[in-house]
Parts: sequence; C-alpha cells; structure tokens
Amino acid sequence: MGAGPLSRVTPQAVTQDVVITHEDVDRAHDRVRVSAARGQRGVFSGFRLLWLLVGPGILVMLGENDGPSMLSYAATGARFGIGFFIPFVVLTFCMAVVVQEMTMRLGSATHRGHAELIFVRFGPFWGWFSMIDLGIGNFLTLITEFIAIRAGLGFFGVPPWAAVASALVFLCLAVITHRYWTWERTLLAIAVFNLVFVPVALLTHPSWHSVHRALITWRPLPGGLSKDTLIILLADIGATVTPWMLFFQQSATVDKGLTRKDIHVGRIDTVVGAALAATAAVATILATAPLFAHHMTAENFQAAEFAQALQPLIGRFGAALFALGIVEAGMVASVTISISSAYAFGEVAHRPHSLNLPMAEGRAFYSVLFLCAVTAGAIVLIPGLPLVNVVLLVNVVAVLAMPPALVFLFMLANDRDVMGDLVSPKWANILATSVVVFLTLAGVLFGISVIAPHIFGFLGGR
Amino acid sequence: MPSRDKGQRSITTSDQELVLSSLEPEQLARLKKHFIPRRHLRGLEKFVIWSLRIYLLFMMAVVVYQVWISSH
Repeated sequence: MGAGPLSRVTPQAVTQDVVITHEDVDRAHDRVRVSAARGQRGVFSGFRLLWLLVGPGILVMLGENDGPSMLSYAATGARFGIGFFIPFVVLTFCMAVVVQEMTMRLGSATHRGHAELIFVRFGPFWGWFSMIDLGIGNFLTLITEFIAIRAGLGFFGVPPWAAVASALVFLCLAVITHRYWTWERTLLAIAVFNLVFVPVALLTHPSWHSVHRALITWRPLPGGLSKDTLIILLADIGATVTPWMLFFQQSATVDKGLTRKDIHVGRIDTVVGAALAATAAVATILATAPLFAHHMTAENFQAAEFAQALQPLIGRFGAALFALGIVEAGMVASVTISISSAYAFGEVAHRPHSLNLPMAEGRAFYSVLFLCAVTAGAIVLIPGLPLVNVVLLVNVVAVLAMPPALVFLFMLANDRDVMGDLVSPKWANILATSVVVFLTLAGVLFGISVIAPHIFGFLGGR
Repeated sequence: MPSRDKGQRSITTSDQELVLSSLEPEQLARLKKHFIPRRHLRGLEKFVIWSLRIYLLFMMAVVVYQVWISSH
C-alpha cells in the first residue's frame, strides 16, 4: 500500500521545526510494540497484532449501545416482539459497519480528526454547521446517558444525586492515567459488560425456533406502520448510526496512531465491534419480548421499570443484571461521547487533543470533557423534567442529523487529494449512498407522519 | 532541533529518536507544516449539501412540533 499525498513531509523537516511532545512519545511506544508484532511470524503474533490494534471500532460500537439505545431495544422487544425487529437491527449494524469503516480509513490515512478535516477541506462555514450538529447532538445524548444511569441505579435504591456523582467519578477515573492505551483497555474491559444482556435474554428462555424464523423470513411489522412504530424504527436506527460515532472513531484512530498498514485490522476491529454490539442489542430485544407476549404496556418504561417488569419472569438476579447493563451502557457512552466532544473541540480550536496528554498540557481538552459531563449530569437532577420523552427523541434526532454528516464523510472518503489510493471503492460508495438515501427517507416518512398524518395514512401508515 | 516540551518530565534524546523512527511525520502532534488545501465544491455537491442542510433544519422544526403536540 503506497503512501498518500499527506506523506510528503520529511523527518528532516520535522527535526528542524517541531517540538516533540509527551503525546508523541507515548504514541511512539505503542507503535514500537505494533512494529515488533508485525515483524514476527506465526498465529500468536497475528493475534498479538490484532490485540494491539483493536480498540476504536469495538469501543465506538459498544459505546453506541448506550443508555437510550438499550432502552429503545427494550421498548422494541416489549412492544413489538422479535419478528420484524431482530433482522432490522442486524441490518442497521451492517449500515454502521459501512459508515464506520470509512472513518477508520480516513483517520488511518490522514492522521487527522473528522472535525479538523471538514474545517480544512470544506472551510469554516460548513465546519461550524457540522460542529453545531455534533455539539447539540452530543449534549442531548449525554443527558440521556445520565438519565439511563440514574434510572438503572434507581433499581438498587441509589438516589439520583449519588448516581450522577458516581458517573462523574467513573469518567474521572477513566481518563486519569493520561494514557490512551490504558484508557482504551480499561474502557474495553468495561464495555464488554454490555453483553450482560445475553444471560438476561437466556433467563427468559427464548424460543430459538422463533429467533431463527425471524432472521430467515423477516416478518412484517406487528400492527402495520404507525407513527409510534415509526418513532421506534427511527430510535433503533439512531441506536446504531449517529454523528458522534463518526467523529469519535476517526479521532480515536488518530490518537491510537493507526496508519495505512493497519487498515485491514481496523476493519476487523469495526466488524467485531458491530457483531458484539448487535449481539447485545438482539439479546435486549429477546429479553423484553416476553413483556410483548404477556401484552404488558411498556410505552413509557424506563430502565428500572423494565427491570421490575421482568422480575417475575427472570427473578431478582436477572432483573438486577438488566439494570446493571443499562448503567454500564450509560457509563461507557458518557465517557466516549464526552471524549468525542473534547476531540472535536481540540481539532477545531487547534488545542492539544489526546488522551496521552498530561493534565498540564491538555487543560482545554480535559476541561471540555468534564464540563460537558458535569452540565449534562446537573440537568438530569432538575426536578420535573420530562426525561422519558427525551430518551427516544434523542435517537430520532441522531437519525435526522446523519445524512448531512454522512455526505461530508462520503466526500472525504472519495477525495483523492486527501486519501490518495485509499479512496472508497465503487461497491463501498454504492452501500454508503444507500445508507444516506435510507436514512433520509426514514426521516422524511417521520416528518410526514407528524405534520401530515392523512398523507401518511394514504401511504399505508396509520 | 527537537526541543524539550513544557510537561513535567523531560523528553530525552532517546525519546526523540524513538518518536522520529516509529511515527510517520504527519502523526506528530505539533507538526503544522503540512497544509491541506481547501476543496472547491462543484455545483452538484453544493446542491446536495444545501438540500440536506435545509432538510435537517426543517426536520428539527418537525421534532420540536412533535414534542409540543405530545406535551399538549
């Protein structure tokens, strides 16, 4: 694989003008281990290389299995069962792989974050639009993470203020080492706990025959297409593809130091992440599907209520696992989303932005990270806020914001001046265009269902 | 000449050699030399970007309307 147009700067030029930072030294240590693993032969070395390079893809996918996403899947299973939605969710994760692979490739090829590339390539006018979309979307999503943490810990009787405080402490502990590698490995270990929904699903004794039939035949929507169904559909799409994921994975790829040589492993990382996240999502739908079978109304359930409703079916232990899963989802996503905002801020403001930065060098980066989290946490503690509606709507807003974000990603991934020989192949462009069209149509359908319900009925909806 | 950074611990010559031998030049955090030129958008590209921008603004208004009718 040849070097791209950005590889024209010589090491001699570097030594003359550039200050070497601790961030560079830490990243160089990581790259030395990668080079050593790449230089050896054998199966073990292959796995070691994989182990060293995976991270951003798995984290972004499991991070997107966040509080509102898991609650969307839970609401899906409880209200509609599995027939339509299990294959639908698998499809949305396939879309996520198509999109996220482009961000990984961009980050590896350019060593620049997504926000920075949009600013330098398309100018500040479009750059600021993208940043406003990202900022609003991230902040709303962050609020819902704290809602999920509060609701999940509420199952164990933890008061809201203590739940929010524990999430903030977790955030501090996650970044306290000032080392990307340690942060990534720690968060990966915690993010894998997202699979706790698998044993919860097993405790409900699902019918594997029905699951198999759902995946093979893709049954129609129970009750047909209605406005409520459409909101759940959009919420489930927004649970897998959102703008913050684009910015996070590209920036994390750069921060980790992936290069053009690592792209094939980056693809594996992304696919493995999607497979793990899809497994957890399907398990959540399966876990709450018995509520659908028992005709229980779950329209406005939060995490604690889902856990309580499941308790007669799966026992106290299973219900506690479900609530803990929601807490984990919110905790991990609160870290990844805060960091996504901080990365974007640093890239746009030309301030140091890396998890390898010591506090003294990365004050602005860490300040944005903590400020976002503290403000979102404080909002959740305001009494009387309609928190339930916010959770589903955040995912809907994410779907609506995706097409404009994807067009910039699409153009950058096809920009030969930036990507060199790593521009997207034709098949990837066809898939990416399909994703943009699909998301736009889903949004348009939602708009019609809200402002012109009679036309929606004419189109076959209710 | 690579110089000492302002962090707490000093960066040694071996650190500098390690960095320069294992990182690609544009991976260096403070390398600002390389300039990526602005891309001039073609007509179709401008049309698509503006259309999706208007779509997003309109849909946000729809979401606000949806929230309003739900709360009433």
